[in-house]
Amino acid sequence: MRSFLYFLLFMVVAVMIIVLAAILGDEGAWYFAWLIGTTMIVLVSAAGGAMLDASEGAGPQGGDSTEHG
Amino acid sequence: MINGTVIDLSRLQFAATALYHFLFVPLTLGMSFLLAAMETVYVTTGRPIYRRMAMFWGRLFMINFALGVATGLTMEFQFGTNWSFYSSFVGDIFGAPLAIEGLMAFFMESTFIGLMVFGWHRLSKGQHLAVTWLVALASNLSALWILVANGFMQDPQGAAFDPTTMRMHLTSFQDLIFSPDAQSKFVHTSIAGYVTGAIFVAGVSAYYLLRNRHVELAKRSFRMAVLFGVLATIGVVTLGDALGFVDAQAQPTKLAAMEGLWKTEPAPLPLNLIAFPDQAQQRNHGAVQIPAVLSLLETHSLDGTVPAIDALERQAVRQVEDGIPAVQALQTLSRNPEDPAALAQFNAHREDLGYGFLVQRYAPDLTRVTPAEIRQAARDSIPPVAAVFWSFRVMVGTGLAMLAFFVLATLYSLRNRIQEKPWLLKLAMGMIPVPFLANEAGWLVAELGRQPWTVYGVLPTWMSVSTHSVGYMAFSLIGFVALYSTFIAIEMYLMVRTIRIGPPEARGPRGPQPRPRPMPAGGAFATAPHAARTGD
Repeated sequence: MRSFLYFLLFMVVAVMIIVLAAILGDEGAWYFAWLIGTTMIVLVSAAGGAMLDASEGAGPQGGDSTEHG
Repeated sequence: MINGTVIDLSRLQFAATALYHFLFVPLTLGMSFLLAAMETVYVTTGRPIYRRMAMFWGRLFMINFALGVATGLTMEFQFGTNWSFYSSFVGDIFGAPLAIEGLMAFFMESTFIGLMVFGWHRLSKGQHLAVTWLVALASNLSALWILVANGFMQDPQGAAFDPTTMRMHLTSFQDLIFSPDAQSKFVHTSIAGYVTGAIFVAGVSAYYLLRNRHVELAKRSFRMAVLFGVLATIGVVTLGDALGFVDAQAQPTKLAAMEGLWKTEPAPLPLNLIAFPDQAQQRNHGAVQIPAVLSLLETHSLDGTVPAIDALERQAVRQVEDGIPAVQALQTLSRNPEDPAALAQFNAHREDLGYGFLVQRYAPDLTRVTPAEIRQAARDSIPPVAAVFWSFRVMVGTGLAMLAFFVLATLYSLRNRIQEKPWLLKLAMGMIPVPFLANEAGWLVAELGRQPWTVYGVLPTWMSVSTHSVGYMAFSLIGFVALYSTFIAIEMYLMVRTIRIGPPEARGPRGPQPRPRPMPAGGAFATAPHAARTGD
């Protein structure tokens, strides 16, 4: 049931993205470019951090063993 | 007639408050998405160091956000207090995006920021990540609506003047938000904020790396910031070109001022790399030019050309002459809104109404306007060239310097050799003020380049101000400058203090474990400084 609800949620999000992209792509190409560009910048930046961990062969704690609150 | 000193002081006051406010805003826009990136890595990899990163940089983000909100509030009130005619004239259009911005900033953004700060121990990982992303989105959407409003001032789309109400009315909300100027301005400004956030995080991380403190956290922060920054800088340069292209169509006087283009020349136009524009003589001194580059930049073609100031002034003379009957018809309609002859006269000349207002500064009685006054009004339609020209070059020069820095820093960071290059780390620290300078210069290009209009081609600045006394304006200006300078000093003190304390050190697996403390209100953010002091 939980998987089904997640499936529904992600389907709704996917449909919303398609509708948004269709409207923005037509009326506001720069806004659409901002959405795509920002997502890409954030993900490349995140990948850079993960790459650093991978290249250093860090353990599961990634240089840290415990969390600080 | 409004006192010229009051006009200048009103402009200076808005410029001063906006320039102060714009020191905070870009950092908020950029850091919010960097926090989202860090927390995304934390949630996907489960590595606690990314949680510490998100919490530490989140604390600096919060200091900046709080002072940014404080400086932004007064600006919204200034529209009513100092720019009352402007607010009355275009309030039907300008009010909508400004109200939505208020809702975005004070409801969506502030609510999610509260959850982000206090939710580390109350929300699941996924929920907290969603909140962080929503903070980033809301910060930038808040900027979107301000820039839609500003885009309307630069290129009034989706509105028309109604001679019966004597105000501008909204004709299309869609045209307002999707105007090319609003779109390109938002994207350019928002991504300039990303560059600011990236330089800030890279610079502070470099400070830790140089002192061999918090090395693991600083290395990762530096890597993420420079990758974020290199892509954002490429984006900001590309989108700056797009904005220039839009301005070439919508605001030819701004473009001519940006390029110091006094005389009409055949294509291909050279680019004035350096020059000293002289507004009185309408020429440049000591110009260093690059052949054909301006045509390529502004028209993306070697055959293209853009109008120079001499042609724009000749056109403005015709527009002022055409605008005079429109203003005269409006004066008749203000006495009798049903007068069909006046309405017909107004409709025949309505396109140039703003230019008629422009000459009213010199000739309140338009039946007695002289050719010299018309020429003076036409000359006024050109913005202050030297200030726009040099602000533009500072913005572009600093933008290219940041691009060079990010390319170099990315190169060394990807090779894991950043700690072997202390000169690059020192450079990264030295780069921290550069994006702030670029942002302020960009703001000056946009707003000085819009002069002499508050709404380009429609409403002159001289007409837009409230009728305050010089003493009131001078007193309030001094008050704002003193208050905002105090805010800057507080921000600098809190930032430097938080950076010196640094993030809480990680506890090693074999080291002594501190006794757990009860969590006070404020959650992790409230305890972090103490943890940091003990950790260092």
